[in-house]
Amino acid sequence: MPRAYPLPTDLSPATVTNTKSLVRIVAFALISGAAIASRLFAVINFESIIHEFDPWFNYRATRVLASKGFYEFWNWFDPTAWYPLGRVVGGTIYPGLMATSGVIYNFLQAIHIPVDIRNICVMLAPGFSALTAWSTYMFTKEMKDESAGLLAAAFIGIVPGYISRSVAGSYDNEAIAIFLLMFTFFLWIKALKQGSALFGTLAAVFYFYMVAAWGGYAFITNMIPLHALALLLMGRFTNRLYVAYSSWYAIGTLASMQVPFVGFQPVRTSEHMGALGVFGLLQIVAFVQLVRSHVSSKQFNNLLFALAVGAGVVGTVAIVGLTYMGWIAPWTGRFYSLWDTGYAKKYIPIIASVSEHQPTAWPSFFMDLHFLIFLFPAGVVLCFRELRDEHIFVIIYALVGSYFAGVMVRLMLTLTPVVCISAAIALSTVLDTYIDPSEPDLPVPEADETSGPSETTTDAPKKTKKDKTAPPPTSSGASVTELLSGMVVTPPSTSKKGAAKEKKTGIFGTDTRLAVILNAIGMLMFFVVHCTWVTSNAYSSPSVVLASHNADGLQLIDDFREAYYWLRQNTPETAVVMSWWDYGYQIAGMADRPTLVDNNTWNNTHIATVGKAMSSSEEVAYPILRKHDVDYVLVIFGGLIGYSGDDINKFLWMVRIAQGVWPDEIQEPKYFTPSGDYRVDEQASPAMRNSLMYKMSYYRFHELFGGGQATDRVRNQVMPKTGPTLDYLEEAFTSENWIVRIYQVKKEDPLGRDLKTANAFDQGKKRKRTRPPVRRRSAA
Amino acid sequence: MLRSFGALCLSLLGLAALTQAGSSSGNSVLVVLQPSLKRDAFSLFFDGLEKKGYSLTFRAPKDDTPVIIEHDVPLFDHIILFAPDTKSFAKDISPQALVNVLNHKTNLLIALSPKQTPLSLLAAEFSLILPPPGMPLLSHFPPRDTAPTVIPITVPADNAVLTPGTPPVWFSGVPQALGANPLLVPLLRAPPESFAADTDKDAGAEAVVDAAEKGGEGLWAGSALGVVTGFQTRDSARVVWAGGVELFGDEFAKKEIEKGVKSGNTQFALDTAAWAFQENLVLRIDKTGHHLANETTPREHYTINDLIVYDIAISKYNAAEDAWAPYSGLTDLQLDFTMLDPHVRTALVPVAGAPGIYSATFRAPDRHGVFKFVVDYKRRGWTFLHSSTTVPVIPPRHDGYPRFLSAAWPYYAGAISTSVGFLLFSALWLAGDDRETKKTKKTE
Repeated sequence: MPRAYPLPTDLSPATVTNTKSLVRIVAFALISGAAIASRLFAVINFESIIHEFDPWFNYRATRVLASKGFYEFWNWFDPTAWYPLGRVVGGTIYPGLMATSGVIYNFLQAIHIPVDIRNICVMLAPGFSALTAWSTYMFTKEMKDESAGLLAAAFIGIVPGYISRSVAGSYDNEAIAIFLLMFTFFLWIKALKQGSALFGTLAAVFYFYMVAAWGGYAFITNMIPLHALALLLMGRFTNRLYVAYSSWYAIGTLASMQVPFVGFQPVRTSEHMGALGVFGLLQIVAFVQLVRSHVSSKQFNNLLFALAVGAGVVGTVAIVGLTYMGWIAPWTGRFYSLWDTGYAKKYIPIIASVSEHQPTAWPSFFMDLHFLIFLFPAGVVLCFRELRDEHIFVIIYALVGSYFAGVMVRLMLTLTPVVCISAAIALSTVLDTYIDPSEPDLPVPEADETSGPSETTTDAPKKTKKDKTAPPPTSSGASVTELLSGMVVTPPSTSKKGAAKEKKTGIFGTDTRLAVILNAIGMLMFFVVHCTWVTSNAYSSPSVVLASHNADGLQLIDDFREAYYWLRQNTPETAVVMSWWDYGYQIAGMADRPTLVDNNTWNNTHIATVGKAMSSSEEVAYPILRKHDVDYVLVIFGGLIGYSGDDINKFLWMVRIAQGVWPDEIQEPKYFTPSGDYRVDEQASPAMRNSLMYKMSYYRFHELFGGGQATDRVRNQVMPKTGPTLDYLEEAFTSENWIVRIYQVKKEDPLGRDLKTANAFDQGKKRKRTRPPVRRRSAA
Repeated sequence: MLRSFGALCLSLLGLAALTQAGSSSGNSVLVVLQPSLKRDAFSLFFDGLEKKGYSLTFRAPKDDTPVIIEHDVPLFDHIILFAPDTKSFAKDISPQALVNVLNHKTNLLIALSPKQTPLSLLAAEFSLILPPPGMPLLSHFPPRDTAPTVIPITVPADNAVLTPGTPPVWFSGVPQALGANPLLVPLLRAPPESFAADTDKDAGAEAVVDAAEKGGEGLWAGSALGVVTGFQTRDSARVVWAGGVELFGDEFAKKEIEKGVKSGNTQFALDTAAWAFQENLVLRIDKTGHHLANETTPREHYTINDLIVYDIAISKYNAAEDAWAPYSGLTDLQLDFTMLDPHVRTALVPVAGAPGIYSATFRAPDRHGVFKFVVDYKRRGWTFLHSSTTVPVIPPRHDGYPRFLSAAWPYYAGAISTSVGFLLFSALWLAGDDRETKKTKKTE
């Protein structure tokens, strides 16, 4: 047996094993450290602060949980959200995230480590990213071997597609959900492989945790049945599958129904029907198998099989029928928008208006996954080469995940783990093949570089080798050899065809080996550089505090907190603040004031009401504001410093959403110029210029330029010389860079005039003389 | 001598509230008197006010002191503006300043004249539509020896502000057409046969006829006009607009309507002032409360379908005794339990045996949200009562539902039978034959 390079021969198997596990532990510690450290950019660049929008609600809820205990949290009715509707928080959230933080907080308090609940919330996501790396390792280990597992763990640890949702401070459900997703899948694979009810139950328990933590649990709810169905159709029904699936489904479904927000959905909505259907199908197939084992007539078996199919069809028809009868809720709008990307834009603007629901742009695949994205198909192909039950899972996951990631930006997150796994399988196979020292036998064997064909050789303490029998393993499952991190050496365990063919694996010479290995190492290094760069530049901004680079260096723009604290300190506690829903959670979290709408967009009409108030004229908006007891209106305006995420840029969504409810009063085309442009300057349409949003954004804006040309820096348009006037609102606060502007709603005029007239009177304008009103003559 | 005579007149008229009376909102009154009018010409009216306990301070329209408002705090509780012909005022009596003090709950009594002054422009802000300048109210009926601009007007008997049985009053001045403002409180209407015109010649009547043909547009005529009109702002500050200052003067007060019948001017003037200065028809909410039907302390929040009791204590100001007294006389008080729209609207009825307390018991709607108890009592002439208490209505707590439901027995039975079956099965399985287990293993 020829060898490309020598391996040491004098190592005992025990030493090899111990060294392997030591190196594995060290590598894993380093991976965890890298995963956590790379998520701390946000804390180092800014501060330990909760990011963005949804995390503010989660943080607020966690504080309630930490201070009042779990039962109060469970029964928490928040009268300040969705004023005046209020929000039954306990019944409308996935409490897993808050419960996790609460448990950690209480544990730390119990062992006398006084950590602020905020820091726990900030650091939760990085902490769980290490666990994600571990569960990905476990999962990949089931697919191939430890070396692939470690590669996958390293990938998922720093890949931007996952970091984007889990930097420190990004205290969102996804922070723990990806760990739960991977771990549930791992347990499922384990249960399937072993046919173990224990692992099936464990999978169900973690499935329950996942259900309690993230709405994306429906992904698991459909992935596992899909896998089971695929196995069934491929004729791979086994008792192991039956045991694993039945224990997972029965316990998991019952457990998931304990989450108040989920309730009876698992038996009443279409999204969950697949799992139920596969469960039923499995029972039938299992029954058929049982009968077949007792009855030997082949025709009878065929008959039974036909019956099974028939029962499946009947079941499907029953589900469809029940849906039509209204017993099972049809697909939700969010679900439809997964199949038809234009659906949301047409029918549910509220969903389409969320930026993370947009279809993914192609460059973001490379940005989020770098070179993994082209290793990914190779890994899937490698799965096909072996095609054990668990590989089918990865293949299905890859297909489904790719599709969803293409449809919605936020679902890139669910694709990322499978990309890491597949890429790790592919890369580890390449490394296995090219590091393995064995060279193929020449047809005419003349000179071997090394002697000792059946000997075990090792050359460095960290490199191992243990092929006892034939160098090329014939059955992949049995001779999966365990290898180490970077420098991995295995006999090529890539193919099953070895059984039939002769031992023809291996590479000649060291030059080709070096070329491929160096190339792989180079790509890995570029990957690390890319990930670090993307993380520090794109994904570490809290978006509560903005950073801008100018001549003086880094400048922090802290307008949001300035304005929220102004509200907190200068308004009565019951003052109702109206803003577009994006800022609802932040106002509730930082200003502690009731809001009309917030990021939990459950009531379209209420949001449309706000949209209508923002997009109609003052006279129309005022009664709406009064009816909802609005005291302050808050708008985000970026025109002065060029902050492009401001309300004028979101304005068309408000118009669209309002139009969905009041098509007679609000029409989107009216907000465009006759030539179809969206403008805010002289040419702006009258509806645009009279809208409350426009007026509040540009009120007194031109004064800032002292008679010069007022320019909106976001839209690059020159503003009219005279700015809009306000009669029904008055300016209460404008932040330093004008990003946040707060207006107070005026009280009704004590003399019963409309406020426009009252204002004209206050400014000393002469009123036109009126005459006594015409009295209608009686017809008689 | 004049003064004692005036006092005699008043006592003869038998004013009930003469001895001890006062306003519910303070007794300091600023009288802005234009130089052409003398205090003595209004002695009956002013003395009547002083008798009631008001302290009057006089000031000319162009004087700078005493100031009306200082550091946003008004220094007087009431202002009488008898400057119907003055064209220019000191800075703090501009129309805007007057609206400002009105918003600080200072009450006003304003006299107008046919001339156009800042005050007549201000009247437009109160939905009073004055005829063009120089058009006083005329009436040729009833035939009398006075000029057509001096008109006797019958005092309505059904107005809660005015003392019933007041004789007709003499009026001279400008009428006002009333706009559609619900805050207006008409006190005295013009006679049906009167009209506003810029001449007292009958030739001018053509214009009136023309305007009448056009459906009344631009027509200041008939009993739709007011001559003395009250106005109560949303904050319950009160303003009285009188079309002529002579109404309050001694001359008209002493002028006989018919032989032997004194005019009602003095009585009417004091009645009007009493309303304007918050003596009459003044109510207040002393306290409001809410609690569960079988409890006494208020809850921070209620659960849906709770039986809630809401009560409110209302007092009325008694000018004769200068005191607030519980008042159970409101028959149409309502309570709204509202979230955007009233979910419950029910009558607040006086509680027997508890003066001034009104109460309502109702079941909270089957809808959670932030509700408000709203009492909004607005009746013409009366102080507006408004009270709003916010309280969340929440769904039942997790342990607030019934524990066992009879309807759920099929499920209980299912759970119990499955458990029993499982126990039996396990027992049989464990106690079963060894041989059988081996056999099953083999078949696998």
